[in-house]
Amino acid sequence: MMLLPCPWCGPRHAGEFRFHGAAGTRPDPATTTPEQWRRYLYVHDNPRGWQTESWYHSAGCRRFLTVERNTLTHEVRSARDTQLDAAPNAAEDAR
Amino acid sequence: MSILPTSRRARSATGAGGAGGPAPMRLAPREGEVIDRKRSVEFRWNGTPYTGHPGDTIVSALAAAGERVFSRSYKYHRPRGVLTASYLDPGAMVQVGDEPNVRAAHRLVAAGMDVRSQNTWPSLRYDVKAVNGLVERFLATGFYYKTFIKPEPLWPLYEKVLRTFVHAGEIPPDSAPGCYDQRYAHPDVVVAGGGPAGMAAAVAAARAGATVMLVEEEHQLGGHLRFGGPAERARLRELAAAVAAQPGIEVLTDAVVEARYDDNWIPIVARSLPGIDERLIKARAGTLVVAPGLVERPYVFAGNDLPGVMLSTAARRLINLYAVRPGHRAVVLTANPEGDAAVADLESAGVEVAAVVDARRGETVTAAHGRHGVRAVELGDGRRVEADLLVTAVGWTAPTSLLNQSGDQPVYDPRAARFRPDPARMPDDVLAAGGIAGDGDLDQLVAHADAVGREAARRAGAAGGAGAGSAVAVPSLAVDEHPELFSAGTGGFVDLSEDVSAKDITTAVAEGYDSVELAKRYTTATMGPTQGKLETVNTVAILAAATGRSIAETGTTTWRPMYAPITLGALAGRPHQPVRYSPMQPWHERHGAVPLVAGQWIRPEHYGDPAAEVTAVRTGVGIIDVTPIGKLDLQGPDVAKLLELLYVNKWQKLGIGRVRYGVMCAEDGVVLDDGVTGRLGEQHYLMSTTSSGAATVWEWVENWLQTAHPDWRVHVTPVTTAYASINIAGPRSRDLLARLTTDVDLSAEAFGYMNVRTGTVAGIADCVLWRIGFTGELSYEIHVPASYGLHVWQRLLDAGADLGVRPFGVEAQRVLRLEKGHAIVGQDTDGLTQAFSAGVDELIKLDKPDFLGKPELVWQHQRGTHPRLVGLQPLDGSIVPPEASQILDRAGGIAGRVTSSRMSPTLGRAIGLAQLDPELAVVGTHVTVRLPDGSDVTAEVTERVHVDPQGERQRV
Amino acid sequence: MSTSHGTARTNGNGHARTRSGLRGYSAWSLLRHGLSRSGWPRAWREHELRDRYDAVIIGGGVHGLATAYYLARDHGMRHIAVLERAYVGSGGSGRNTAILRSNYLTPEGVRFYDRSIQLYEHLAADLNFNVMFSQRGHLTLAHNDASLRTMRWRTEVNKLQGVDSEVIGPDRIGELVPYLDTSAETRYPILGALYHPPGGIVRHDAVVWGYARGADAHGVHIHQQTEVTGIDVEHGRVRGLRTNRGRIATPVVLNATAGWSSLVSHQAGVEMPVQTFPLQAAVTEPVRPFLDTVVVSGTLHVYVSQTDRGELVFGASVDPFASYSIRGSLEFTEGIAGHVLELMPALHRMRLLRQWAGLCDMTPDYSPIMGPTPVEGFYVDVGWGTYGFKAGPVSGEAMAACIADGKPPEIISAFGLDRFADGRLVGEKGAAAVGH
Repeated sequence: MMLLPCPWCGPRHAGEFRFHGAAGTRPDPATTTPEQWRRYLYVHDNPRGWQTESWYHSAGCRRFLTVERNTLTHEVRSARDTQLDAAPNAAEDAR
Repeated sequence: MSILPTSRRARSATGAGGAGGPAPMRLAPREGEVIDRKRSVEFRWNGTPYTGHPGDTIVSALAAAGERVFSRSYKYHRPRGVLTASYLDPGAMVQVGDEPNVRAAHRLVAAGMDVRSQNTWPSLRYDVKAVNGLVERFLATGFYYKTFIKPEPLWPLYEKVLRTFVHAGEIPPDSAPGCYDQRYAHPDVVVAGGGPAGMAAAVAAARAGATVMLVEEEHQLGGHLRFGGPAERARLRELAAAVAAQPGIEVLTDAVVEARYDDNWIPIVARSLPGIDERLIKARAGTLVVAPGLVERPYVFAGNDLPGVMLSTAARRLINLYAVRPGHRAVVLTANPEGDAAVADLESAGVEVAAVVDARRGETVTAAHGRHGVRAVELGDGRRVEADLLVTAVGWTAPTSLLNQSGDQPVYDPRAARFRPDPARMPDDVLAAGGIAGDGDLDQLVAHADAVGREAARRAGAAGGAGAGSAVAVPSLAVDEHPELFSAGTGGFVDLSEDVSAKDITTAVAEGYDSVELAKRYTTATMGPTQGKLETVNTVAILAAATGRSIAETGTTTWRPMYAPITLGALAGRPHQPVRYSPMQPWHERHGAVPLVAGQWIRPEHYGDPAAEVTAVRTGVGIIDVTPIGKLDLQGPDVAKLLELLYVNKWQKLGIGRVRYGVMCAEDGVVLDDGVTGRLGEQHYLMSTTSSGAATVWEWVENWLQTAHPDWRVHVTPVTTAYASINIAGPRSRDLLARLTTDVDLSAEAFGYMNVRTGTVAGIADCVLWRIGFTGELSYEIHVPASYGLHVWQRLLDAGADLGVRPFGVEAQRVLRLEKGHAIVGQDTDGLTQAFSAGVDELIKLDKPDFLGKPELVWQHQRGTHPRLVGLQPLDGSIVPPEASQILDRAGGIAGRVTSSRMSPTLGRAIGLAQLDPELAVVGTHVTVRLPDGSDVTAEVTERVHVDPQGERQRV
Repeated sequence: MSTSHGTARTNGNGHARTRSGLRGYSAWSLLRHGLSRSGWPRAWREHELRDRYDAVIIGGGVHGLATAYYLARDHGMRHIAVLERAYVGSGGSGRNTAILRSNYLTPEGVRFYDRSIQLYEHLAADLNFNVMFSQRGHLTLAHNDASLRTMRWRTEVNKLQGVDSEVIGPDRIGELVPYLDTSAETRYPILGALYHPPGGIVRHDAVVWGYARGADAHGVHIHQQTEVTGIDVEHGRVRGLRTNRGRIATPVVLNATAGWSSLVSHQAGVEMPVQTFPLQAAVTEPVRPFLDTVVVSGTLHVYVSQTDRGELVFGASVDPFASYSIRGSLEFTEGIAGHVLELMPALHRMRLLRQWAGLCDMTPDYSPIMGPTPVEGFYVDVGWGTYGFKAGPVSGEAMAACIADGKPPEIISAFGLDRFADGRLVGEKGAAAVGH
């Protein structure tokens, strides 16, 4: 398997991680229609090429990473800590 | 051969003298030979004793003794002899003891080896199935697709006959286990191939500061230099000395680079190791240098599979490495200097060279004749030459497998008559050296490899950072012209492993299987144990000729891993089967616990009498080891928000010291897990999960915290194995616990149902005690620091002896919870069960603004058509319908199933839980349950709680 | 609904065909050809690509070819093209491990796959092409209580649908497969198994070729090396498609691809709830036959069968992350080897010869997506996950009926695309997601 460049642990064998797939946007549960909600549940991009996706470093730092990966070649363009990306002030907690 | 075993003499391959007679084909000692003539090794071949020398392969020892036939072919059972005298030799697969498919031209003889030919009956010499050769015309490619079609009932019989043709060795069911292991490595550079180029590249890379693994398939380094002339041997000594002198090179012989996976993840199998059968080295290499040399390609013509037809490299290996004369009178078909060198080697070995057929002058061989071996060779000019040996040197195949796996697609070069790598397609971390990269004299190839080695080290970042410094100028290699020689057009075999003939390929094309992949699949050419290394290019060439396309247009098949066949033992390594035990496991084992495999955990199922264990809990007190229950320590100001999101019920108002049961759903409303969570302090909670859900829930919690609510301040610590957990259950549980607790008031008023306290148990501080009731009795679940688990367990038993305390196992717990109607997630629910089908309706708070899966549960509730979880009691209380028994509707269709069922010791009757369609899920309804034996029983739908429906026993 | 092909006639290909099937291959013809050393006709022909067809099927695997075959044979459709970007059977049809069974969990699944087995049982005679269906029995091992319970569940559902399944114990398992370690001392003791006698293996390529030859004999045009580059949709209905060899006008397009199903559907503007994952397989060198049944262990993620050539064929579950790569991984072979030796320790000296991978389009409920789509004339037969090959014949039969009638037949009514938006998922995932 390929290496994933974990921002905390360095390049690691992909077997250390769990794949969570492309993240969808969660509709507002108060107003969602069945159709919107089930699109969120079931329909994801399935590109043959670059995809932004979520990986969990379960056998490492236990952090969720946002990874840009090519689904055909397995090249990885970037891997960032998802929480820090969204809330940089959470860095303290993450460490 | 003598008939009587008693009069058998060892057929000797020792040359003059020795225990046996003379080895007729063994030559006088030769410089460069790898056999140790001072010692001899006895082994058996089809029951007959033979003698060889250490260093001999099975084939060289047998060939020295005059044997020429080592196997029979797959379909036609034609005799087969030496073709390549290497690992690839398709005619030299034998059984050695328990081991099938041993490469006899590679495996060294060892004392006592029991070597047998495979799938020959009654003997290798007289094989009954050779009659197939007479009906060859009817067994043309794909014949089995065209016949045995009707009558249909006969096909299974035909199939049995087909299976008897399997061309392979056998594995006895009681084969002794092997010993294998694995090792990780992080070399800067892996060099695949230990010939001159590989050796030079390895030395250059190591000199540049790289750590190097140099991997060679043969038993010694050197590649073709080993069986060359004095100049080659001198060069080999020089290179070998340089390798030996250079620190940083790990040399692996009789080892193979098996594949190249993403990011240079490279498995290497190493054989001939002391103490173990094989070792798999898993290397993450900075750079891979592919230097496997070239494989000599056979020529396709009538009779090309006869024993005595061999490649020039085979003849030279036999003569120069093993001092074996490959025949008496030879014809040599040569198209290159290596073929010319073979002529010289044959003459030096005393073989009479009757004719040299020079393909560069347009001369050719059209057929070999003979029955059990070559007797005569027919030349293109019509001459017929008596000979027992036909040596061919018609060209080379680049074994590009590792390059293909790196993304390369080799291109056919008609000038060189071989496929060559396309460097433009190769990733930066893979380089090629040696014959696979191009041609040249030894100096040029070594200079090229030297530059490749230095560049490999640079790319691996061996000296300084990756890619530091400027790229090494790698000289380009010339490509020599070589005549295109694949097939004489007179028939013959393309694939000797599979018995696929040239005609089979043209037949396949005529029938429409005209692309290389279709023809491969239809004829099975290239699919045998030689993996196409000998066959692919000839197949493509014949296919191209038949279709009128060029070889370049035809292309090749895909080369997939493995590079060489690899044992399952090496891939598996040592068996590692981790299991988890609680700290109380030694006690359980001493007290006759019957083990239950529960995911990673091994738990006591019971201690001999589960029904009595149930009764003990209902009437006195029992203790159960529930350590595998998942436990997450949650701290921070936003834990309550998190719990509100995760669970279907409400958590904001949970007071300190209180415990609540909750159910979690995934976003599709399907029940994910359940358990209780207690609030230990202002910002401190302890969550429990199911045993099998512990890891999943932890990841689930982290996912929501890290990706959806990055601003929430919650710290999650898994503490499943930090605590040993014990449930003390039964009407006397308070009495028992009170004897061991000093700082917790256990009275009903001070420590009520669904409360949590921390305190000291049996002298152990910092225990968490919660009062909950999975069993339906007064009970306390205590979590004690894991290292004191066994101590507390033992103290509970000691202190409660007079109370009749008794350990109980998972089975009793299952019965107890079933009597109480508690569902088990994953048993009473399945992968599509939404929460309103799990019997937790009163828990689901649709008035909460949000929780995971809420929209789906709103809709589930609105539809109302979902199955319900109900209680079930057969009218005949003595019949326990097995779990998974189906419940039928009036039309005989499936209306539900029994999810849990047991005989209740408390009620003395069968009880159960069931998933049931809503129209039948009404208490009092009678339903039909189909038992596995096909009979039906009637059961009544009941409330889920079978014992103590008011819950009075657990609230005392 | 089938139209008559009452009389035998000979097509341009030299095959005689009748309504009930094709002729031309038999022991007698083999003998005749052998004696005269004459050649056989092409199994299927090459054609110019026409600019108009009545129906175009994308994907030259077993699903696409079978649909074409039944459309032509049973529904009288005349001008049908099958477009294949590489060669017939180059996708999942030639990469699977060729295991057939019908012991599914849901009534809809059991009924559907049982029809497939029935068609497979007579496929050789029907197609006049020996597909070598070997009904040697199929064992799914249970190593813990939860999986044993699921085996019972499947068994009971199977029996109610008339499908031959039973749960058997370790002794019986040991008799069927003496090489299995059925002792209680192993890490994953074998507690029982779901035994399914009608299950077995088939020669997968032969199924593809048999359907290709049969479709050809009924006038279907099979176009290999023909890649679809676009689908033309106007006012909500299909008008035609574009290929690397030119445009085709057609009112009916069927997407019968795997690994490409979201990409092809996307060309028609239809979204698919699929994610593509590689599924790997491997084969060993041959050894003398010793394994008569198919052996599956869900807990150990492995399935094993032995071909008539003596090779062991191994498979596992899909790769752990979405990918369009078919390069394969070391972890797959290591896992397979470890698990096989856990089950059959004597095999440690067997050598793994080759590994490969195919692409699986996984749906949320482990069931296919079959039938019409919001675009009129655009049909799908996709989302086959890891079980598409088993369903080839019945899918062809059902999709042919669906296209001919414009609406899905009852047998595939549970598998429509609209079920996801409606929240009516098929319960095959029920068993797969049951915990320990």
